[in-house]
Amino acid sequence: MEKNQEPVLLRMEGIVKEFPGVKALDGVNLTVRAGTVHALMGENGAGKSTLMKCLFGVYKKDAGKIFLNGEEVNFKNSKEALENGVAMVHQELNQALKRNVMDNMWLGRFPMVAKGLPFTSEKKMYDATMAVFDELGIQVNPKTIMSTMPVSQRQMVEIAKAVSYNSKIIVFDEPTSSLTENEVEHLFKIINMLRSRGCGIIYISHKMEEILRISDDITIMRDGQWIATKSAKELTMDEIIRLMVGRELTNRYPHKDNVVGEELLRVEGLSGMYSHLRDVSFTARKGEILGIAGLDASGRTELLENIFGVATRKSGKIFLGGKQVLNRSATESIKNGFALLTEERRANGIFGILNIRENTVISSLKSYLQGLLLSDKKMSDATEWSIDAMHIKTPSQYTQIRSLSGGNQQKVILGRWLKTNPTVLLLDEPTRGIDVGAKYEIYQLILNLAKEGKTVIMVSSEMPELLGVCDRILVMSGGRLAGEVDAKNTSQEEIMTLAAKYA
Amino acid sequence: MTKLKDKKPSKLEALKAMSPKDRNRAIGDMLMNNAMFIIIAIAVVGIWIAEPTFLSIPSIVNIINLTAAKLPIALGVGGCIILAGTDISAGRVVGLSACIAAGLQLTTNKLFPGLPVMPIPVAILAVLVVGACVGFVNGFFMAKFKLHPFIVTLSTQLIVYGIILIYMQLGTNSGQTLSGMSEAYRNFVTGKLFTVGNTAVPRYVLYSAIIAVVVWVIWNKTTFGKNMYAVGSNEDAANVSGVNVLKTIIMVFMLAGMLYGLTGFMDAARIASVNANTGLNYESDAIAACVIGGISFVGGIGKVSGAIIGVLLLQLIFVGLNYLSVDQNLLYIVKGVIILVACSIDMRKYLVRK
Amino acid sequence: MEELTPKENPDQKSPPPMRGLYRNVKISVKTLDKIIIGGIIVLVVLILYGIANNGYTVTFDSRGGTDVPSQELMYGDLVEEPDPPTREGYTFAGWYSDENFRYQWDMDTNQVSQSMTLYAAWEETP
Repeated sequence: MEKNQEPVLLRMEGIVKEFPGVKALDGVNLTVRAGTVHALMGENGAGKSTLMKCLFGVYKKDAGKIFLNGEEVNFKNSKEALENGVAMVHQELNQALKRNVMDNMWLGRFPMVAKGLPFTSEKKMYDATMAVFDELGIQVNPKTIMSTMPVSQRQMVEIAKAVSYNSKIIVFDEPTSSLTENEVEHLFKIINMLRSRGCGIIYISHKMEEILRISDDITIMRDGQWIATKSAKELTMDEIIRLMVGRELTNRYPHKDNVVGEELLRVEGLSGMYSHLRDVSFTARKGEILGIAGLDASGRTELLENIFGVATRKSGKIFLGGKQVLNRSATESIKNGFALLTEERRANGIFGILNIRENTVISSLKSYLQGLLLSDKKMSDATEWSIDAMHIKTPSQYTQIRSLSGGNQQKVILGRWLKTNPTVLLLDEPTRGIDVGAKYEIYQLILNLAKEGKTVIMVSSEMPELLGVCDRILVMSGGRLAGEVDAKNTSQEEIMTLAAKYA
Repeated sequence: MTKLKDKKPSKLEALKAMSPKDRNRAIGDMLMNNAMFIIIAIAVVGIWIAEPTFLSIPSIVNIINLTAAKLPIALGVGGCIILAGTDISAGRVVGLSACIAAGLQLTTNKLFPGLPVMPIPVAILAVLVVGACVGFVNGFFMAKFKLHPFIVTLSTQLIVYGIILIYMQLGTNSGQTLSGMSEAYRNFVTGKLFTVGNTAVPRYVLYSAIIAVVVWVIWNKTTFGKNMYAVGSNEDAANVSGVNVLKTIIMVFMLAGMLYGLTGFMDAARIASVNANTGLNYESDAIAACVIGGISFVGGIGKVSGAIIGVLLLQLIFVGLNYLSVDQNLLYIVKGVIILVACSIDMRKYLVRK
Repeated sequence: MEELTPKENPDQKSPPPMRGLYRNVKISVKTLDKIIIGGIIVLVVLILYGIANNGYTVTFDSRGGTDVPSQELMYGDLVEEPDPPTREGYTFAGWYSDENFRYQWDMDTNQVSQSMTLYAAWEETP
């Protein structure tokens, strides 16, 4: 920030955000000058989103100050931020898809026919929308229904909305993740125009080329800490990667002593019907921990869901021990010895209001039958076993699962799947939302399972975790398999390059 | 990693250990979360003081009888609510089953001229089949098309009402009230079980108790029951865990339908005269009872004992108000307000402070 | 796919998504408390109003005969036998609680438990 030729629009100083037990943000600084694009970089979980949520008041920051045009601000919600000229174009667009473009633009502040009259003016709305669109060079009919437009155009509408609020600071969160090359060009044109109008742009992305092309300054975060803020001209791609991942690997991972055996699972030409998963083939062996790396939306989750039969396949075959298995539904897959630990633990993993016992036995109810009825004793024993084996910290079996910590919830679900006696465990982000100590225990559990001869396939966004736990790593990119690396002889840089192959 | 197995301190000890501010909040929470029980308790005591006969033996037996009569339908609706749904066709299904049970048991049958009095098991089987059919339709449309439970059961409610009206026109009956059922049938349901003081307790109290035990076993001791709670708690998670969600939802509604059928079977003999409006608004009582008894619209929460307590409390207050000669029309409004308040209290329990 | 920060403990931060008929509930406990208390007050007022205006009305439908005044009675009371109505060409045949004349109302034993109408039955004078 030495060459402070442009006035500072936004300054965030020493932002601290603590969640129970962990510091998600630890004294982060961010300074955005007018008429510049400021890239915010970091691995998944480095705290970029948390920082933005603190800016928009989604989270209440525990310490630190935010200055907008030199005045201290403290937004309570994103609406207040918007009204003060701070807007965000979300990665996931929050739009009313069944309504048309202009309804979405003016939602919450519809122009009225006249003051005091309770009627909205379609004409005023149309004219105002057109004015903004003309300014930005967007060619969209304001009366188009949102859901009929491609994602790129919907994103343009979102940008136009931010502009129509006269926003001075606009945050782009992974804006290009679903755009084609031409659309990206148009987006950049718009961003350049906003820059020339004196707006400050915060640009969050994983894509190095884009960042180096568009941004003026780059701030790099790691583990919730501010690492560096440098001019884009001074940085190379390698330098950025080094700053992003450069942590030391002490013994955050248990000692690997699993023995890889013969081939157990073979997947051939797997494509998804309703997802962008295309033609994925791979094999996995007994006692092996196979990692799957890739960026968000690279098709990792879809791959597991297709194997497990909860997403519809278009084509592809799955062989287990040489025999073809169909896995048309979760029930069938479980019968065939598969288990899926889902990514969205709270959405489709736990039964929040049910207790630990109910959560443990639900996938293996048949084995507790005594005649027609379920045996309480067998269920209690199974749960007791799970609590012991997984080291679950809980007052009793009858505690509601939602009152446990994330790590303990994950252990309960892992225990649930182990009671179905799976031979292939599909784990989607098994350590997401879990603190460091509990992560180690989960790694240990995964390793123990591999030692028992089970095949573990594990998706993770955290590369060090994959390198520390897995034997081999498949890298997904844009719904396709971009490559396969041996975990011992690879680097994060190699994986990152592969992950960007089809992105 | 040690497992924490020591028991939680008792509620009273926990209260003492809190700071005054926390204690006040905890007490406030307790009062608010149990507000319905407190209000009903106060009302019962008030009514008892005003009308001491309200808690005399004949009156208490009467309340228990009414509770027993309304319990099966409440258990049925309770299952639907555990699925995070509801069922407003319940009352009409009770009506239809009552008409069918009565129709098979008339001594001089105007509906089916010449039909002799059928054996009682045939009548029971008939109401079970009819209830299960309606339940199947309800469950199928809800599970397969993800339709809102209110819409599906509203439709079946209308359909069932239409069927009742047509059924009552059969033979030479032309829509008249059915009465004059066989002595064996009436005795089977309302015959004396035993006497308390000088008041007879009818047999259907026993049947209702048996039904409650069976439902308890189904809910708590079978795969189906566990699946029901799981689907109600988190349908997506249940699906991924290998639960057949479609089958579970359909079965819950079929079970509910059968319970309505049994309610109708008992009601026809209990009231001794059945017309097209039998069973009208029964579902509102059942829903109110379930919500009061802690079967939550959040889904996945609820016990058989809760349904029993809910029905009992509701009967207590309504019989009590009846003793005080409160106008029937006003009671509908009271019932509606009770449902709203009970829902708000229920919601409060599962709301998380921000 | 939203990027979650792995270090945070999401379960302390926000509850699992609300399901069932209460999904998307956005209300604070404070507001809810006010609503509950308001509802209870309404309930109490209704009940007190009902008790203050208690009593059941028994109306008499003389079905073409002379008018019979209605009676205000309490729970468990007996209906006071009114003067029998008269109708030209018919003789009065008693009071019934249903229009189909199936249940005759016995003034000496039947107790009132709700508001109701009694119907006069007539026999044609030969």
